Amino acid sequence: MNDYDLFVTDVLIIGAGLAGERAAIEAASQGLNVTILSLVPPRRSHSAAAQGGMQAALGNAAMGQGDSPDVHFADTVKGSDWGCDQEVARMFVDMAPVAVREAAFWGVPWTRVTMDKRIYDGQEIHEDPKKVGLITARNFGGTAKWRTCYTADGTGHALLYTTDSMVLKLGVTVHDRVEALSLIHDGDRCYGAVARCLRTGNLRAYSARTTVIATGGYGRLYGVSTNAVINEGTGMAIALETGKVPLGNMEAVQFHPTGLVPSGILITEGARGDGGYLLDKNGYRFMPDYEPKKKELASRDVVSRRMIQHMRAGYGVDSPYGPHLWLDIRHLGAKHIETNLREITSICRKFNGIDPVHELIPVRPTQHYSMGGVRVNKHGYVYGMKNLFALGEAACWDLHGFNRLGGNSLAETIVSGKIIGEKIAEFTKDALLDVRSSLIDQHVHDQAERIEKLRAKKSGTADVFRLRHEMEEILREHVFVFRTEAALAEAVEQLHALHVRAGDLRLRGSGLGADPELSAALRLPGMVKLAYCIAKGALARTESRGSHFREDYPKRDDENWLKRTLAYWSYEKNEPVLDYEPVVITELPPGDRGYGEATSGPVQKK
Amino acid sequence: MELQKVITPSPRSDLIVEGIQMISGLLLVLFLWVHMLFIASVWLGATSFNALANFMSRYGLVWITVAFLVVVIGSHVGAVVRRIPKQFREQRIVWRHAKLIRHMDTWSWIFQSITGAALLALAIIHVVVVTYGGISAKISSTRVFNHFLIFYIVLLLLAEYHASVGLYRIFVKWGWVSQHRLHRVLGVITVLTVGIGAVSLYVLYTLGAHFA
Amino acid sequence: MASRELTFRILRYNPETPDVKPHLQDFHLNEEPGMTLFIVLNRLREEQDPSLRFDFVCRASICGSCGMLINGKPNLACKTLTKALPDVTTLMPLPVFKLLGDLSVDTGVWFRDVSLRTESWVHTDEVFDPDAAEEKMDNELAKEIYEAERCIECGCCIGGCATANIKPSFIGAAGINRVARFMMDPRDKRTEQEYFEVVASEDGVFGCVGLMACDDNCPVGVPLRSQLAYVRRKMAVAGWHMGRGR
Ligand SMILES: Cc1cc2nc3c(=O)[nH]c(=O)nc-3n(C[C@H](O)[C@H](O)[C@H](O)COP(=O)(O)OP(=O)(O)OC[C@H]3O[C@@H](n4cnc5c(N)ncnc54)[C@H](O)[C@@H]3O)c2cc1C
Ligand code: HEM
Ligand code: HEM
Ligand code: SF4
Ligand code: F3S
Ligand code: FES
Repeated sequence: MNDYDLFVTDVLIIGAGLAGERAAIEAASQGLNVTILSLVPPRRSHSAAAQGGMQAALGNAAMGQGDSPDVHFADTVKGSDWGCDQEVARMFVDMAPVAVREAAFWGVPWTRVTMDKRIYDGQEIHEDPKKVGLITARNFGGTAKWRTCYTADGTGHALLYTTDSMVLKLGVTVHDRVEALSLIHDGDRCYGAVARCLRTGNLRAYSARTTVIATGGYGRLYGVSTNAVINEGTGMAIALETGKVPLGNMEAVQFHPTGLVPSGILITEGARGDGGYLLDKNGYRFMPDYEPKKKELASRDVVSRRMIQHMRAGYGVDSPYGPHLWLDIRHLGAKHIETNLREITSICRKFNGIDPVHELIPVRPTQHYSMGGVRVNKHGYVYGMKNLFALGEAACWDLHGFNRLGGNSLAETIVSGKIIGEKIAEFTKDALLDVRSSLIDQHVHDQAERIEKLRAKKSGTADVFRLRHEMEEILREHVFVFRTEAALAEAVEQLHALHVRAGDLRLRGSGLGADPELSAALRLPGMVKLAYCIAKGALARTESRGSHFREDYPKRDDENWLKRTLAYWSYEKNEPVLDYEPVVITELPPGDRGYGEATSGPVQKK
Repeated sequence: MELQKVITPSPRSDLIVEGIQMISGLLLVLFLWVHMLFIASVWLGATSFNALANFMSRYGLVWITVAFLVVVIGSHVGAVVRRIPKQFREQRIVWRHAKLIRHMDTWSWIFQSITGAALLALAIIHVVVVTYGGISAKISSTRVFNHFLIFYIVLLLLAEYHASVGLYRIFVKWGWVSQHRLHRVLGVITVLTVGIGAVSLYVLYTLGAHFA
Repeated sequence: MASRELTFRILRYNPETPDVKPHLQDFHLNEEPGMTLFIVLNRLREEQDPSLRFDFVCRASICGSCGMLINGKPNLACKTLTKALPDVTTLMPLPVFKLLGDLSVDTGVWFRDVSLRTESWVHTDEVFDPDAAEEKMDNELAKEIYEAERCIECGCCIGGCATANIKPSFIGAAGINRVARFMMDPRDKRTEQEYFEVVASEDGVFGCVGLMACDDNCPVGVPLRSQLAYVRRKMAVAGWHMGRGR
C-alpha cells in the first residue's frame, strides 16, 4: 500500500473553525509544527455564521454594570439546568473577558460604548461617559446582565477572520478541502487521521504526535437546521467509530426559537435581545403570559417549548410549510433595523422577500446546536484514547450541560481554544511520534476498500440521498423539542434498521475522483450512528432537563439523573451502549432556574 | 524580494506612470475643449476665425501646440499601452468576458482602448493636414466641404467619447464624486461638446459650400 | 396556477474525464415557491445527476462559497431566488479561480495567497497584556473597519473584473479592500511605506483601471469603489512623501 501521500506533523487539528484555529495559534506560538484540516477554506467554516455575539463579563455597558464572572457563572449553570461541569464553567467565565480583549488586540472591531441615545423596553439607557470607547454588550437570552459582546451583525465572521489572520501570520499549514475519514489508532492511542482530498478524491494519511478534533456540530442530521450544510458531525462520528471514545450527552440538542420558515436560516437572538416580540396568529404577544419575568428572553429551550406549546394550542399561523409564529421587530425603527440588525433584514429580503421594517417574520423552533459531543476532561483530553483532544462544538467539555446560553458557544471556542490549546502544546512537547507504518497502511487500506466497494457497486441497494432523508425525518418526527417514550422507542428501532441499511449503499454515479455522491456515501454511516446515539440517549433519560424535554417525565430528576450520558459504539452489539458519569458540582447546588417551569399542555391565559 | 526588483529600485514607478497617464489625459481633455471653443469662433463669421488663425500662426502658437501635443500624446500613449491587452489570448479573454458578464463599464473600457488607438492615427493625420495645409476660414471650410466632413464627424465622436469615458474613469478611480452624479455631469458635458463641435462643422460646411 | 418549467444550462467539466470537453448541459425542473439556486442545484444532484459539483456551506449568503456566473453576472447562488430568473438560466463557474469541476472553483487558495502577499493581519510590536483593559476605540471607527471586514471572500468581484481575468497576479478589489481594512485600523502599526510596498503597484491598486464591475457585483455591498479610492489616494500621498523624503 503506497498509493497515498503521507504528511507528518506535531499537532494535527481536524477543523478550521474558531475552536480549531484558536488552539492552533496556541500550539504554533509555542514553536510546534501544526497542520489544520478543513472541509472548506477556513474562513467558510460555520463559525463565520454566528451573528449575535459572545458572552464575557466585561461590565462596560450601562445595562451590564455590576456584571462579573460570578454572575456569568450562575447564568451558565442555571442555563445548563445544572447539567454542566462547574469546574469547567468556572475556568471559562474567568477566562472569557481575557479572550475578548485578546481578540480585540488582534484586530476584531468590537462594537464600542457610545453616548448615543437609546430606548430599551420603554426606558432610556444612560451610558457611563468614562466607558465610552470600551467594548459594549447587548442583551441575550438567559442572562442576568447585558453581557454579549458583538461586532454589529457579524461577530462570528469578524472573530473568525481575525483568528485566521493570526493563523496566517504564524505560518500554520492549512489543508482545506480535505476530509478526515477515520482516526489512525491501535485501540489505545491515536496517531493521526486518514483523510480524503475533496479536490481529487485521493486518500492521504496524516501522522501526528497529537490529534485534535474540532469539527463543529452535527445540525444537518436534522435536515432542517440553522447549521451550515457541512455540519454533518463527521468528526464526532470518527471518534465514536474507534469503539473506545464515548460521546457525551448526545440527547442534549438545542432548538433555536427563531429559525426562518421554511429555509431554517437563523434569525439571531439579537433580534429579541434588541427588543423584538413573538406574536401568534392573532398578533398577540404571548410570551409574557408564559414567562412574565424574562418574556421572549428566557433561555432558548424554554422559549422553543413555549412556542410549540402555543402552536399546539391552536395559535400557530398556518402555512404551506406547516404552522409557525411571527417575530416582530417593526417597533425598533428603520434605523436600528438597518444598522444593528442589517443581516436579518437582508436575509428576510433575500430569502423570503419580506421587509422586516414593515412586515412580520415567520419563525419556528429549529435545530441549532449540539451540546453533546466527543467527551473530554477539563483539559480537553478525550476519554478512552491517548494523544487525542477535542474542543469546540464537536466536544462535550461540558460547559453547556443540557442547554447552551446564546453567546456562550462562540465564547467557548476561543476560551477553550486558549485553555485547551495550551494543554495540547504542553502535552505534545513530551509526546513521541512512534507510529508503525503498517498501522497507517492498514487504516488507509480500510478506507480505500470502502471506496472500492462503493465504486464497484457490487452489492448494495440503498440510495444515499434517500436514506439520508429518512434519517432526517426520523429525528425531526420523534426526537424534537417534545419527546415521549413511544416516539423515541420508535426512532431507535427505525434508526437501527437504517444503520444496517447504511452499510449497504449503492451509488448511482461512477464515484470517481472527488465525486460528491461518493463523499455523501462515505459520511452517511457515521451520521446514522450519531443519530442513533441521540435517540437512544433520549429514550434512556427519563427526566426533563434543559433542552431535553420528556412529556412523560416533565420534571428534572436530580436524584437519579444528575449525571452525564456517555454513548459508546459497540461493534459486538452493533449498536450504541450507554454509560453514565456524575456531573461535577463545585459551587452552585441544583435549584430553580427561575424560568420555564416544565409544562407541555396549553396554559390558561390570564 | 526578487533580484530584478532589487536592482531597479523604484517602488514608485507604477504610481508615476499612473500619474502621467492621468495628467496627460486631463491635459488632452483640456486641449480638446479649448480647441473646440477656438473652432467655434467660426460661428461669429469668417473674420473672427481668421483673426484667431492669424494670431496663432503669427506667434508660432501652432508649432508650440504641435510640440505640446507630441509630448502629451506621446506620454499618454506611452503610459496607456501597458493597459491595452496585447496578446491575442488576452484580447480573446477580455472580449469573451465582457460579453459574458454584460457589464457597461467593462464595455466602455474596451471601447476606450479602441477609440484611443483610432484617435492616435486620426489625430496624427489631422494635425499633419492642418499644419501643412494651413488654417483660414476659406481653407478650412473648403477642406470640410470637400473631403473631410466624415473624417471630422468620426474624429469628433471618438475624441469626445474617449475624453468623457476617460474623465469618468479618473473620477471613479480617485473617488472624488459619486458615480451617479458623475454619469449625469459627464453626460451633459459630452452632449454639450459634441453639440458645439457639430455646429462648428455645420457652419464650416455651409461656409465651404458658399466658397465653392 | 401551473408552475414554470425552468431550464438550467450548466457548465460541465470533470477533471476525471479529460477527454470530455467542457460543455453546457441542460437540466429541467419545475419551479416551486421560495425556490433558490441552492434548492435547485441540490435537487438536480439528488434526483438527476449525482456527479454534479458545486459548493455551498452556509446557504445563507454569509460564507461566500457559492459565487458563480448566473446568466453571466457574478453572484451568490444561495441567495438567488428562481422567481427573479428567466425560463432559461445559464450557470457557469467564476473565472480567474482554478476550476475544480462543474461549478466548483478554488477560491480558498486564491484568497489565502492574496492574504499572505498583502500580509493581512495586524502588525504590531506590542505584547498582549491579559490584565489590562482593552484600548479604547471610537465606535464610528470600529464600524468603518467592520464595513471593510464584511467581505466574505466570495470572489464575485474578482471573477467579474476584466483586469483580474487577464492578469493573474492582480490582487483585485477584495485584496485591496482587505488592505484598506488594516490601513484604517490604528492597531496595525505599519507605516505608509510598508503599505506602499504591498499595494502601490500594478498588481495592487495601480493595476485597477476602474472598471467597477467589482463594486457593481459585490453581493454583500462592500463599498468597494470608495475603498479602492481610499487606498489609491493614501498611496499617492505616501508616494509623494517618499519622493520628497529622498
Ligand atoms: C446560524 C448560527 C448562529 C450562531 N450564532 C451564535 C452566536 O451568536 N453566539 C454564539 O456564541 N454562538 C453562536 N452559534 C454557535 C457557534 O457559531 C458554533 O457553535 C461555533 O462557531 C462552533 O465553532 P467550531 O470551531 O467548534 O466549529 P465550526 O466553526 O463549525 O468549524 C468546524 C470545522 O471543522 C471542519 N470539519 C468538519 N468535519 C471535518 C472533517 N471530517 N474533516 C476535516 N475537517 C472537518 C470544517 O471544515 C470546519 O472548518 C451560532 C450557530 C449557528 C448555526
Ligand atoms: C487625443 C486625445 C485623447 C484624450 C483627450 C485622451 C484622454 C484620456 C483620458 C482622460 C484618460 C483617462 C486616464 C486615466 O484613467 O487615468 C484616457 C485613458 C486612456 N487613453 Fe486616452 N486620450 C487621448 C488619446 C489617446 C490615444 C491616442 C490613445 C491611444 C493609444 C489613448 C488610449 C487611452 C487608453 C487605453 C486609456 C485607458 C487607460 C486606463 O484605463 O487606465 N488615448 N485617455
Ligand atoms: C496642433 C494641433 C491642432 C490644430 C492646429 C487643429 C486645428 C483645427 C482646425 C483648424 C480645425 C478646423 C477644420 C480644418 O481646418 O480642417 C480643426 C477641427 C477639428 N479638430 Fe483639430 N487641431 C489640432 C489638433 C487636434 C487634435 C489633437 C484633435 C483630437 C484628438 C482635434 C480634433 C478636431 C476635431 C474633432 C475637429 C472638427 C471640428 C470640430 O468638431 O470642432 N484637433 N482642428
Ligand atoms: S469584496 Fe464583495 S465581491 Fe469581492 S470577495 Fe468580498 S464580498 Fe465578494
Ligand atoms: S472591476 Fe477591476 S479594474 Fe478595478 S474597479 Fe474593480 S478592480
Ligand atoms: S453558501 Fe454561503 S454564501 Fe452561499
